[in-house]
Amino acid sequence: MLRELFEMVEAYPSSVAIRESLNAYPILLTSHVIGMCVFAGLVMMMDFRLAGFGNKSTSITDVQGRLFTWQMVGLAVSVVTGALLAYGQPMRFYPNFYFWTKNLLIVLAGINIWYFHTKTYQTVEQWNYDPVPPFAARLAGVVSIVLWSAIIIIGRMIAYPGLVPQWWLDLGLDA
Amino acid sequence: MEEAAFSVQPFFLWMQEHPLSQFMLDYTWAQPIVQVMHLVALSIFAGSVLIVDLRLLGVGVVKTPLSKVADEAMPWMIWAIVALAITGIPSLMSLAMKQYFSPFFWWKMELLVLGLIFTFTIRRRITHTDESRLGPVWPKVAGMFSIAVWTGVAIPARLIGLFS
Repeated sequence: MLRELFEMVEAYPSSVAIRESLNAYPILLTSHVIGMCVFAGLVMMMDFRLAGFGNKSTSITDVQGRLFTWQMVGLAVSVVTGALLAYGQPMRFYPNFYFWTKNLLIVLAGINIWYFHTKTYQTVEQWNYDPVPPFAARLAGVVSIVLWSAIIIIGRMIAYPGLVPQWWLDLGLDA
Repeated sequence: MEEAAFSVQPFFLWMQEHPLSQFMLDYTWAQPIVQVMHLVALSIFAGSVLIVDLRLLGVGVVKTPLSKVADEAMPWMIWAIVALAITGIPSLMSLAMKQYFSPFFWWKMELLVLGLIFTFTIRRRITHTDESRLGPVWPKVAGMFSIAVWTGVAIPARLIGLFS
């Protein structure tokens, strides 16, 4: 069913147009990396503060609130260009192990953000200026650093469809 | 390439023929491992630069003194540069002749040198000057210039691999 969806999109004239354009792929890919730098870079600066690794002169609410807009700008660029990259070559990404692993990790990162903001962050006024925040906040920071690093690593690995786990090939998922 | 009295081409040939280049080309996982680590280091580098540039532009963590933001970002930036060099150099060596003939490589390197010099001289000076003496204009000029130069490094960097 998912496969039919990807095949259907691949046949759209707009998908063909992106795929066959000489400039679309380099422009989208370069913008995707720049969006990633802004988003992941500023998220990690915030995570370092949360984890107690650095940026200790800035309060938690400041490092969260003042960088939030720019993180969202980077995220918007990455999501739009990423979606267009997938839209232009759906059947290149459909059989790719790393493509699905990356999307799964993004969902996990989203769950970490949701849990942190609805639970841990609610008590921020009590530890806003602590150089080393409480365990739950440090954990959220470390989990975020690990997940976003993994997303960057796995995202780059999409370019190496030949270097996937053997079971992915054994199950015939690479076609 | 123009004929010149002094050429770096022999140096690029030497890199291409170096045993490390051969290892990078022979071992299937060498190139991807180096590429992914380069990209993680790049993100940390970008974050450590941007947190200061946004502060210079007056749209970042403005309640924290400028010199504090810069000092606390510095170790991350230094370690990211070290990691970028450790992963970037073998990557360059293994494809030295491709890089030598790529206009994007030279575009990247020229702006990279400009960015490093600017960051460790003028920008460092500005981030450590009393903000009341800086006035409203110069910090913004420095922040904009920094973002422009590093974006100018990132664009050709991504394009080297796409056009050969």
